Amino acid sequence: MNITRRLITVGFAAVMAAGVAMPSFAADLIAIITPSHDNPFFKAEAVGAEAKAKELGYETLVLVHDDDANKQSQLIDTAIGRGAKAIILDNAGSEASIAAVQKAKDAGVPSFLIDREINATGVAVSQIVSNNYQGAQLGAEEFVRLMGEKGNYVELLGREADLNAGIRSKGYHDVIDEYPDMKMVAQQSANWSQTEGYSKMETILQANPDIQGVIAGNDTMAMGAIAALQAAGRKDVIVIGFDGSNDVRDSIKADGIKATVMQPAYAQAQLAVTQAHEYITTGKAPAEEKQLMDCVLITADNAGKLETFALAE
Amino acid sequence: MVRFQAACTVLLAGALALGGCKFVKTEDEQKQAAAGAFNPDKLVADIWDAKVVPYLEQRAGPFREVSALAANDLDAAAARYGHKEKQGNAPWTFAAKIDGVIVAEETKSRAAYVDVDVDGDRQADVRVSIGPAIRGTALRDSLDFVIFNDFKNQIEWAQYGKSFNTHVNGALLEKLPREGLTGRTIKATGAYPLPAKGQLPQFVPATIAVGG
Repeated sequence: MNITRRLITVGFAAVMAAGVAMPSFAADLIAIITPSHDNPFFKAEAVGAEAKAKELGYETLVLVHDDDANKQSQLIDTAIGRGAKAIILDNAGSEASIAAVQKAKDAGVPSFLIDREINATGVAVSQIVSNNYQGAQLGAEEFVRLMGEKGNYVELLGREADLNAGIRSKGYHDVIDEYPDMKMVAQQSANWSQTEGYSKMETILQANPDIQGVIAGNDTMAMGAIAALQAAGRKDVIVIGFDGSNDVRDSIKADGIKATVMQPAYAQAQLAVTQAHEYITTGKAPAEEKQLMDCVLITADNAGKLETFALAE
Repeated sequence: MVRFQAACTVLLAGALALGGCKFVKTEDEQKQAAAGAFNPDKLVADIWDAKVVPYLEQRAGPFREVSALAANDLDAAAARYGHKEKQGNAPWTFAAKIDGVIVAEETKSRAAYVDVDVDGDRQADVRVSIGPAIRGTALRDSLDFVIFNDFKNQIEWAQYGKSFNTHVNGALLEKLPREGLTGRTIKATGAYPLPAKGQLPQFVPATIAVGG
């Protein structure tokens, strides 16, 4: 059964390879699949994984699924067809991705998940999970502190279909709701988008001029919000982001956004490739499948050390 | 042939199971499962007296020794007093006992704390959370018998961590006085994560007594 499957896979790979004129002496291939690189966070993941894979002597196949589970499924087929030795995946949904990862496993291609987790174990070899919840708690604690534990605030949510939008919001409220004098006057989704962050903030500000703070589910929305607030002459409003992008770092240095939370995108992508290499060469999986990567609070104190989702020592 | 046998076994098992089973409405069952599946407050309450407090009492060293060893030989301190998840990037969390004098208090904040001197120089050596809001998850992270991989996802893991704080708050911290704490003695057993350089350790108590 296994042999048949392998033969089919190999045959398929050969056909694919012939189709794209792959040189026959090509090195082993690692597929790197993430959401769209429009968000610098996912770009950093892809760049980090690719750099480590090349360093270890692999060819790479870098693909984006645009948070579309169907597209992700096709890309997994492509990776299997191309004979990838491993897949590094920032997945397109904690439930929807289980079948895709299982499909790769059945075809003999191990998956190493980064950033987002899936609601199943034993399917991927490892899941290196960004601890969004812990990060959100850090951001919210700083937000509450800067607000003096009281005042009216706005929350900008990420895209509702995305698990991390919900996790971050839960983490925020887990902390903020312990302070009865913190009052949320508006909560809207700006879909992770800077332009939507700007337009939503403009509208909210007109209806609720008496706000002291804005907590955003990611950095791009925070960038939109701070631009709208500054355009309205509201430099007093405290804005907090999430991700640790260079844009927000620069805003913090310029006394715009007050804080963000850095997820180690680059490092965790590299760690996944290292684990994939170990697995390919020795068959050894990491001791624990799910590995939490904690986030770090970025404020004016340490913003100077931040570069492309990594903090210098 | 093998398949046929397997199919027969499944059929037989199915028949046997049906014979002895109790019928429960699936929807109700699902609701019950959803409601009863994960109750972190109960999980913590169930192990608090039997496992958590005894573990910390046994594992903890005097705060002065733990912090001095962590500064000089982190590996040795980790082996003796520390815990962290095997993988990932969480810092070490240390179990420690505090015996000292309160030198400062912040009780206006809901994340209230007292600063404690443990070596008699009247300088704060450690910051002890006294709630009701408690930052971080030091108590959960100090225990070697709870691991992230036993939980469904990071949300449940985080809620579990928070339940330790909720529990200690209800059981102990709510009952503490909120005024005139400075100058009084304090004894506590609990945990703190390895602090960033130049910052006071943030200690969360599992037992606490404030004296005269």
